[in-house]
Amino acid sequence: MSVAEAPINEAIKALTAKDFATDQEVRWCPGCGDYSILAQVQKVMPTIGVPRENIVIISGIGCSSRFPYYMNTYGMHSIHGRATAIASGLKASRPELSVWVVTGDGDSLSIGGNHTIHLLRRNFDINILLFNNQIYGLTKGQYSPTSEVKKVTKSSPLGSIDHPFNPSALAMGADGSFVGRTMDRDPKHLQMMLTRAHQHRGASFLEIYQNCNIFNDGAFEIFTEKATKPEEVLFLEQGKPLIFGAQQNKGIKLDGFRPVVVELGNGVSADDLWVHDEKDFYKAQILTRMFDDPRADNHLPRPFGVFFESDRLCYEDAMKMQIEEAVAAKGKGNLDKLLRGNEIWEIL
Amino acid sequence: MTEIKLMKGNEALAEAAIQAGCDAYFGYPITPQSEVLEYLAREMPKHGRVVMQAESEVASINMVYGAAGSGFRAMTSSSSPGISLMQEGISYIAGAELPCLIVNVNRAGPGLGTIQPGQGDYFQSTKGGGHGDYRMIVLAPASVQEMADHVFLGFDLADKYRNPVLMLSDGAIGQMMEKVAFKPYKKPDIDKSSWATTGKPKTRDRNYITSLHIQPEKMELHNLKLEEKFNQMREHEVRYEEYNTKEAEYLFVAYGLSARICQKAMDIARGKGIKIGLLRPITLFPYPYKRLAELAPQLKMVLSVELNSGQMIEDVRLGVNGKVPVEFFGRLGGMMPTPESIVHHLETLIMARNGN
Repeated sequence: MSVAEAPINEAIKALTAKDFATDQEVRWCPGCGDYSILAQVQKVMPTIGVPRENIVIISGIGCSSRFPYYMNTYGMHSIHGRATAIASGLKASRPELSVWVVTGDGDSLSIGGNHTIHLLRRNFDINILLFNNQIYGLTKGQYSPTSEVKKVTKSSPLGSIDHPFNPSALAMGADGSFVGRTMDRDPKHLQMMLTRAHQHRGASFLEIYQNCNIFNDGAFEIFTEKATKPEEVLFLEQGKPLIFGAQQNKGIKLDGFRPVVVELGNGVSADDLWVHDEKDFYKAQILTRMFDDPRADNHLPRPFGVFFESDRLCYEDAMKMQIEEAVAAKGKGNLDKLLRGNEIWEIL
Repeated sequence: MTEIKLMKGNEALAEAAIQAGCDAYFGYPITPQSEVLEYLAREMPKHGRVVMQAESEVASINMVYGAAGSGFRAMTSSSSPGISLMQEGISYIAGAELPCLIVNVNRAGPGLGTIQPGQGDYFQSTKGGGHGDYRMIVLAPASVQEMADHVFLGFDLADKYRNPVLMLSDGAIGQMMEKVAFKPYKKPDIDKSSWATTGKPKTRDRNYITSLHIQPEKMELHNLKLEEKFNQMREHEVRYEEYNTKEAEYLFVAYGLSARICQKAMDIARGKGIKIGLLRPITLFPYPYKRLAELAPQLKMVLSVELNSGQMIEDVRLGVNGKVPVEFFGRLGGMMPTPESIVHHLETLIMARNGN
């Protein structure tokens, strides 16, 4: 019996968030968004029905990558940028384990961009939690591949001229089979998205907006603060029209291929709006491209939720099938026979 | 006119790069050397030079490869894990015979290690961290002054031999503050037109940068040419400093930060009547084997002091060639020995030798 088939006993069901905490002192700066993400992950873990010993959390290098120390599961604190490759190797070897990559915008989009897109393309059943704070925090404040153009940091005193990545669009481009976005300051949404990422069979790419209050404070404030959130955030819900606004009086409509904001009323009803369908590959691309600068005039709201989900074959399943087919076609291998070969000489 | 400033090692290095006429710098943040990138990002544009934060150290070294290929004075810096990532590029740059300067602000490893100083990258630096038969001149600064001086020297040597030069510093030398003097410097006038990608005049064939010759006969000739350069380095570029060696019975051999600590240890030991000197290699490749061989007959024991588990000691043993016992003292994991602890170890070894 493999570990995946082991019955989930009552003791596991009774686990709480505390059972996923460790005795390690959590070493993030006071006020860091990582604390909220850690708390929500610890809350969700007891609900997913996987024994702690079957969960592995793999990180690279960066502030977020301290995560495995704080989770009472198996963990690997690995190499800068390589967590996605290491997770791929682990999942290929032990497909029955629940594998989570905890990474940041520097770790997985800068030095690790290569491995990240290949994990998504192959579609290992791995959950990638990308803590995006749009800065290099651990090295004390240089711009990252998600920092906005003109950003002044220690390594860009004249303002960055690097065009930033749009992480969810990148994940769509790499054929990610689950692409979503959430934020550190909305615990309920974050918990829901963690559960969805776990439930999805295939590579889950979950971008989490995370505030670095020391080196990039307020980067996502417009999306997370009460005063502006309703007007700036568009929550995606499967089968529901795209409605937002403090009065829930605005919606998104498609004008050809272009999303536009419309006011509800005066002859415009929810029936005229774009209805979200996570399975729609084409519309998901448009949703991920709703990435306007929130300071720009007439900008679109930023979508949060599941952009896309498809049930594409996982790499580890394809590998298992290929092995089974090879055995069925050619029979189980005989190492002795292979070593002997077909020709035998007698040496006199 | 000589300008004297109080600076951090990493900042002195960065300032020296500007004064040495570095045309292009490529780097990626890593502690304990991020100040180099930050200083240059602030100061280089004022001089019309190129500075760029790459997406990784792999990208940094390959950007250096490209810039050096155009005849630019190109440079990168990092710390141990980042330098490991650069090894492929360094091998190619050496194979393609391009000059550049690489700086390693060594932290303690292996793997991620700590951000405190270490000298665990000695083997990687001096024995070829990348693949194939290549060598680099390796300079080991032991002060903030040398963090600056070795940049000028490093660029000049890189140009002279058309080969990468490595500065092997560490987290303490990079982070500490000392006074540093910047002397007027003139960049040597070097004609790079025979190899750099600077356009094709009618008078010659196009320049073509590669480390590959498909025919093994030609490849071997290329290897022999490289080896001849490395022999020239062995002949002409050995640099070291020595203290109190004239009547020494014992000898510390140490480089960089270890040498600074050994200077104090030497003073304490001499105060106790132990006749000890210090040999400080400044170039780790080429290594002062010859000087060690000359000193060996007068010595009773050599103590190699390093911030690792014993790497340079192998070169010390090659130098003295069995003529004198070579012992080791080191600290690991980012820990630094006190001068007193080195002297204590020395005294214990001497007592053991004297049969007490």
